[in-house]
Order: sequence, then C-alpha cells, then structure tokens
Amino acid sequence: MRTLTATLATMLLALPLLAQTEIQTTIDPTKATNVLRIAIPAPEVTGATFDSVNGPLFKPLTRDISMSGIFAIAPLPPNVAITPEVLQRINAQLLLKLAVRTEGEDFVVEARMTDTTGQTQFGKRYRGPAAALTRLAHMLASDLVRSLNGKPGPFLSQIGFASDRDGHWEIWLMDWDGGNQRAITHHGALSILPSWSPDNERMVYTSFARGTSDMYIINRRGGGRIRVATGLQLNTSATFSPVSNDIAFVGSINGNPDIYVIKDDGSGRRRLTTSGTIESTPEWSPNGRQISFTSGRSGSPQIYVMDAEGANVRRISFDGDWNDDATFSPDGEQIAYTSRVSGRFQIRVSNLTNGETRILAGEGSNEQPTWSPDGKWIAFQSNRSGKWQIYRMRVDGSDIEQLTFNGENKDPDWSKKSE
Amino acid sequence: MKKTSKAFAWTLCVVVLGLFAMACPKKPKPVVTPQVVADTAPPVVPEPPKPPVETKVENKDFVQETPIQRETLPADIEELNRYAQSHGYIQDAYFGYDESGLSADAQAALTSSANWLKGDGKGYNLLVEGHCDERGTEQYNLALGDKRANTAKEYLATLGVDGSRIRTVSYGEERPFDPGHDDAAWARNRRAHLVLVGK
Repeated sequence: MRTLTATLATMLLALPLLAQTEIQTTIDPTKATNVLRIAIPAPEVTGATFDSVNGPLFKPLTRDISMSGIFAIAPLPPNVAITPEVLQRINAQLLLKLAVRTEGEDFVVEARMTDTTGQTQFGKRYRGPAAALTRLAHMLASDLVRSLNGKPGPFLSQIGFASDRDGHWEIWLMDWDGGNQRAITHHGALSILPSWSPDNERMVYTSFARGTSDMYIINRRGGGRIRVATGLQLNTSATFSPVSNDIAFVGSINGNPDIYVIKDDGSGRRRLTTSGTIESTPEWSPNGRQISFTSGRSGSPQIYVMDAEGANVRRISFDGDWNDDATFSPDGEQIAYTSRVSGRFQIRVSNLTNGETRILAGEGSNEQPTWSPDGKWIAFQSNRSGKWQIYRMRVDGSDIEQLTFNGENKDPDWSKKSE
Repeated sequence: MKKTSKAFAWTLCVVVLGLFAMACPKKPKPVVTPQVVADTAPPVVPEPPKPPVETKVENKDFVQETPIQRETLPADIEELNRYAQSHGYIQDAYFGYDESGLSADAQAALTSSANWLKGDGKGYNLLVEGHCDERGTEQYNLALGDKRANTAKEYLATLGVDGSRIRTVSYGEERPFDPGHDDAAWARNRRAHLVLVGK
C-alpha cells in the first residue's frame, strides 16, 4: 500500500501538467535562500478560449515569474481542485489566480496573489487588446516582483540591437525574452551600435546611410529621426549620459580617434582624450560622473576609466591582450567587458572596488556585454552557432539562452530603465 | 700546311662572294618555288612565278600607340574602379595585425597610386576605406580602420595628391573582402581600399 501511494505520487509529479508543461523553473530552490514557491493554476477564461490567451499571456507570464529570482513555480497536479491541502503538499507559499474575460475588443485580466493563510498579497486588474497581452504579462510579472522586492523585474525592458535579416544591418528592438522583434530603422545601409537614452524613449546609433559614418537619434517607435552633425569623422560608439543630454562618442580628426562629448542637438562639442593612439568605446557610469573607454596607448586595446571631464585616467584591465566594450553595472560597482583569453573573446566582469575579475566562459567568441536594468542579467553577442546571435545569461554565467535566430544579430544594448 | 692553305683559299672565296652579294642588294633574288614531295601526291604542276607582293609601309606601323595616344578609361565608375585596380593604377595598402603604419609594400602601392592620380587619374576624386580583419572587436576596429584610411590619405598627400580630393571612411570589420577565417583572408582584409568616386 505504501509502495502504491509512493508510485501514485511519483506519477502525479511526473505527469505533464496542464498549461505548465512549458515551464522550466530556472531557480534551484535548494540553493536560493529567499525564493518563494508560487502555484499558478491556468487562468479562468470567459469570452475566449484558453488557447487564445495561453501563448500571448500565460506562457510569457509564467516564464518571467520562473526567471525572476524571487519566485519558484510549484508544479500543480493536473485536474485537481486547488485546496490548502494541495498547496501544502506541493510546498507552495503563494497562489496566483488569474481571471481573464473579454470586454468588447479588450481583454481584462485580474490577478490575485494570496499566501497560505488566504490573505491577499497582491491584486491588480489589467486591460488591453489582444495585441497587448504579452506586454500585459510582462507588466504583471514585473509588478509581482516589485510587490515583494520593492524593485520591478526586468520584464518590460527592451534590448536594442543590429540585425541584417532583411538584407542590410538595421537597428531592431526586442523584449527582454527575445519576443516582439521589430526593426525601427530602414536606412537600407549599414546601421549599427544602438544605445538607449536614460528615459527609454530614444536610441543613438551609427549609420553609413550617407556613405560616411554618422550619428543618428531615433525614437523607440521609429519616428523623429535626426542626424547629429558633430563636425567630426567616425561618430561611432555613441552613448547617452544617464543624467544629462550629453552624448559621449568616438570622433576623429585626421585619423586620430578620440573620446568626445556633444549635446543631443549637436552643440557644445568637447574633446576628452588627447592621446595620439586609438581611443574608442566610451560608456558612462550610472551616476554620469565617470566614463570608461578603450585605448591602445599601452600597445594593445585596454580598458580605462576617467572622470566625465577627461581627467584622472586610470587603467582597469590588465588581463588579456585585447579588451573592449566596457560597460558599468547599474550599481556602478562592476564593469563587464570583452576580453580575449587564449585567442577567444569572452565576457569578463571586473569588480571596481577590489579589482577581482571573473570570466563568464562560453563557446565561440562572446562580445559586447550589456546589463539588464536590475543588474541581474547580461546580454551579449556570440558566434558559437557559426553566426552572430544575441544571448542572455545571469551575471553568474548560468541560464544562457539564445534570443535571436534570424539572419545575424549583434550590438545588443539593454534599456536603462526597467519600465 | 697544305691542307690549311686550301681551307683558307675556300674561306676567302666565300667571303669575297658574300661581299659581292652584299654590295649588290638591288639584284632581284630568284623566285624559288618550293618542291612539294608527297608519296601519293599527284604530279606537281609548278605554278607560274608570281610577281613579288608589294607591302606598303605606312608611317603608323613605326609608332607605338599606347604611350602617346590617350587611354580611354571606362565611363562607368564601378567599371573604372575594376579597370584601374586590375591595371595597377590604384593599389590598396595592406597592414599588419592591429597596425596602422605603412610597410614598404604599402608605401610602394600608394606611390604607384599617387603617380596615376597625378597623371591620367588627375580628374578623379578618391575615397579611402579603412578595413580590419575580424579578429578584433567591432568598436575598436572602427577606430583602427579610421586610422588606417587616414594614414593612407596623408601619405598620398605627401606624394603630391591634393588632400581635398581624398575622403576617408572606416568600415572596421563590417565589410571583409575575403569571407575566410584564416591568415590569408585576414591579411587581405586589413587594408586601406582605394575607390575612385568620380570627378
């Protein structure tokens, strides 16, 4: 009898669970100290089929929650009424119930999270057309994280990148999980290296649309494109200041690439480096007081940090014979950069306080790291598949996931704000 | 002794005859009809002797045309670039790994290019594209390509090509000429590429 019970229990756990078969919990609850186990039964849907909300709403929601680092999803046995006993058996501390109904063209989603005592910990109603269901899912997941953490999850953030899938390199955007990929530029010419404004509304990038490399700014929805006339050549690696309307970039006069700053209306240009060697790839610290950059002044490309006026230059990277693409973590305490190790580029993370570095190793060449706004993830480009594609991993190098698949894709830049 | 003097006499005779023949260049040579011998051939009927064919020598045959008569260059700009590259009129400068200095070979290539740009190519403007191999990083290589293109431009200017005719652009590692991933491909991709861009 005891054997039979054990077998039944095993069977129940092993059975594919309704609407949760796609979910892979990425957090190991035994390793995390503050992860809450949450049960999420399939939503009650009225006015539409479950299938019509499963793909656009339920799957991205449960995926976000499972990757939040705050929650671990407790699998529910199928076709069983949710009772406190069931929740106790699966060791769920929280229950998230979703009710979806249609009102005209809109979907209305009610979310209620209760604890084991039945007390509501979170309750919110969302409304939107079918096309907005995925965004609604990311919003709800972000709100759930904030309800427990005080800070939103990264689920509404966007990743800008360059893709050649339509024949030319153009600037594209995607959701944090690789969904909703769409082009925002249509130059029909090499357009690369997008970088977000701090308010998530604009991107600055480089395009060769006029046959020279020029700096452009465009709204996130593809409108309002302007060219910023810098009076210089190159105009690459442009990046918005997090605290002002300054843009740091690489400008060149007579083949001498240096770090410059210019306002987003093209005024107030000033030069920050004066060395005769190559300087490139500026990036602001989160408080806007420092700029990291790459310089060949030591004989090979290495990472340096200076203050935003160009003084107090100090070298950051000492490992690797070619380092580039430095970018500060959102808390300003670490720098991630591309570092060549044994002939291959890898993502290296360096602690600015104690100088310790660690390699987030991977197959192929791995370049151009960019931090998620919550500092828990790094997106990067890798040629491990034989083509350049964009991947995302946790800052400890785990849970690597490929986000792009069409054509070749590179130059990821994660939006600075979570929402 | 006797044998020697006999040989000497023969030699003298031949030389005298030869001198005589040279002294009379206007004497027409007998027309010799070659005798065709074939096993199965029908009996050969000798052709009647023809008068010597007169070759009219025109002056132009003694003039080498190419250096004097102006070469017609292709009007289409892309065709012109192929033509000028294949004839070596303009030549790309190649660079060492992570280098932007000019080797002796690169200097020679640019010197040839400068000579043509000051001569037959005087009417054309030039775009110098800086390129890198794929082994570096994208952003640093864009800056490196800029340095390479401008190094080539400056060298052309020191050789007398008006700098205002020359524009530069860096493509970094974005546009490799050789899609390969070996030393030979990388060497071909590290270059300042000269492009004629019209007048």
